[in-house]
Amino acid sequence: MLEVTGLSKSFGALTVVDDVSVTVKGGEALGVMGPNGAGKSTFFDLLTGVTPSDAGRVMLDGEDISALSVEARVVAGIARAFQIPKQFASLTVREHLHLAATAGARVSASEARRLTEELLDRTGLSALADTPGGKLRLLDRKRLEFAKALATQPKLVLLDEISGGLTESEVHALVDIVRALKTPDLAIIWIEHIAHALSESCDRIMMLNLGQKVIEDTPSVVTADPQVRALYLGEATDA
Amino acid sequence: MIVVDVILNGLMLGGLYALFGLGLSLIFGVMKIANIAHGEFAIGGAFLAIAAAIFLGAPLWLAVIGALILSFVIGFGLQLVLVNRVMGDDPVPALLMTFGLSIIIQNLLVELFGADNRSLDIGPLATAGIDLGPVSIGVFPLILFVVAIALFAALHWMLHHTKAGRNIRATSDDPDMVGMMGMERAHIFAIVMGVSAALAALAGIMLAMRGSITPFSGAERLLIAFEVIVIGGLGSIWGSLLGGLALGLVHVIALRLDPSSGPLYGHLLLLAILLLRPEGLAGRKAQR
Repeated sequence: MLEVTGLSKSFGALTVVDDVSVTVKGGEALGVMGPNGAGKSTFFDLLTGVTPSDAGRVMLDGEDISALSVEARVVAGIARAFQIPKQFASLTVREHLHLAATAGARVSASEARRLTEELLDRTGLSALADTPGGKLRLLDRKRLEFAKALATQPKLVLLDEISGGLTESEVHALVDIVRALKTPDLAIIWIEHIAHALSESCDRIMMLNLGQKVIEDTPSVVTADPQVRALYLGEATDA
Repeated sequence: MIVVDVILNGLMLGGLYALFGLGLSLIFGVMKIANIAHGEFAIGGAFLAIAAAIFLGAPLWLAVIGALILSFVIGFGLQLVLVNRVMGDDPVPALLMTFGLSIIIQNLLVELFGADNRSLDIGPLATAGIDLGPVSIGVFPLILFVVAIALFAALHWMLHHTKAGRNIRATSDDPDMVGMMGMERAHIFAIVMGVSAALAALAGIMLAMRGSITPFSGAERLLIAFEVIVIGGLGSIWGSLLGGLALGLVHVIALRLDPSSGPLYGHLLLLAILLLRPEGLAGRKAQR
């Protein structure tokens, strides 16, 4: 589904993403780990087109999207859920999803309404459908963040440290949600600090450090890797 | 009874002022920029109607509708082709761009129509009045007031009950996120500029029906529009209505008490609002 080749980005003399290549198939979930400043978020910015890349190619479902704008990439099928959920203060939950469906998935108004009601149901937001985005609690805002991403009918979902601020049991709930997302025509990339969340939900984990790919393998291999353990223990003492 | 007469006249003048503020408020609310060419959009729209009515001989209603549609198209096009190029985190380039546009439009109008006073003739309607016992009110000011209120209500309805309105509100809340949901905010900006230009044109047309205009009348209307939206509360649609009515009342009352004061007391009202309630009559306290 997603094929990234030689993706690079420098800010001045600092290379933030350095020649990263990775492939994620439909139905697959890839976890991304790395210390702060490893280039994880910039990697997402390059995929979504928020930041233009210096070199490399991004193919989505056989289509080269490297030169497309942020908006066009959403329509092509990339959705992103943020660590700090963003919502329109004055739009209701239902309006958010309807907007995402009409703008991002480019479906008709009636199809958008159907999709909206389905997602309200699936993400447990039905009771809050008419609540303005500015009045939601954190967990509901996370739900909305998910529902919004799915409403654009993506082929690739990017999850950006979405467990931030959640309790341990809520993280478990999140893992279940991500597992439930796995369908044959959807690829998932999840950036997260919590290693066990990724181990439980992802098929492979990629470790980034200083913008470079250190290792990409199954969760059990990656979490046992001495290099990874060193990086993560280092991070643990920093934090 | 003079009191009632003054209040009614103030409110009706305020309706026109509010209409001048409405388009500017919409632009500010959605794009977070000040459109310096707003006054010229109003006067230019009025001259379009004058050209159609006087030079082409079109009936008045057709001239007005034609001018409104053309104003929308011009506003839409200018935003799409010019102003969108300089929209960004820094509001200054867009401000300078609209300042440039205001000068160009004004000079274009002088070139085409000369510097004379012009007005739109509405026939006997201009002097018709309704006798309400002790006071009488003009039919045309009343129509003007009703149209202004109706437009505020229509815009409010459009923003809350149509797809375009929802997209406009979303863009106003967070233009970056709109892009991340796959929507081209440049198109939303263009629609908003078009609607704003048409609203300005209608205000300009009503001004030309009520009195007369010259190609230089824009600056003064821009000042009134700014006063209206600051008094009412920046970016708030209903605030503009309140601001317009307040400014109209103050102008009419002041001219009755002190006939040589001109717009002085309106400016003093602005100053008082800035000192006592800087968020405006309907504005909320600044967040974050």
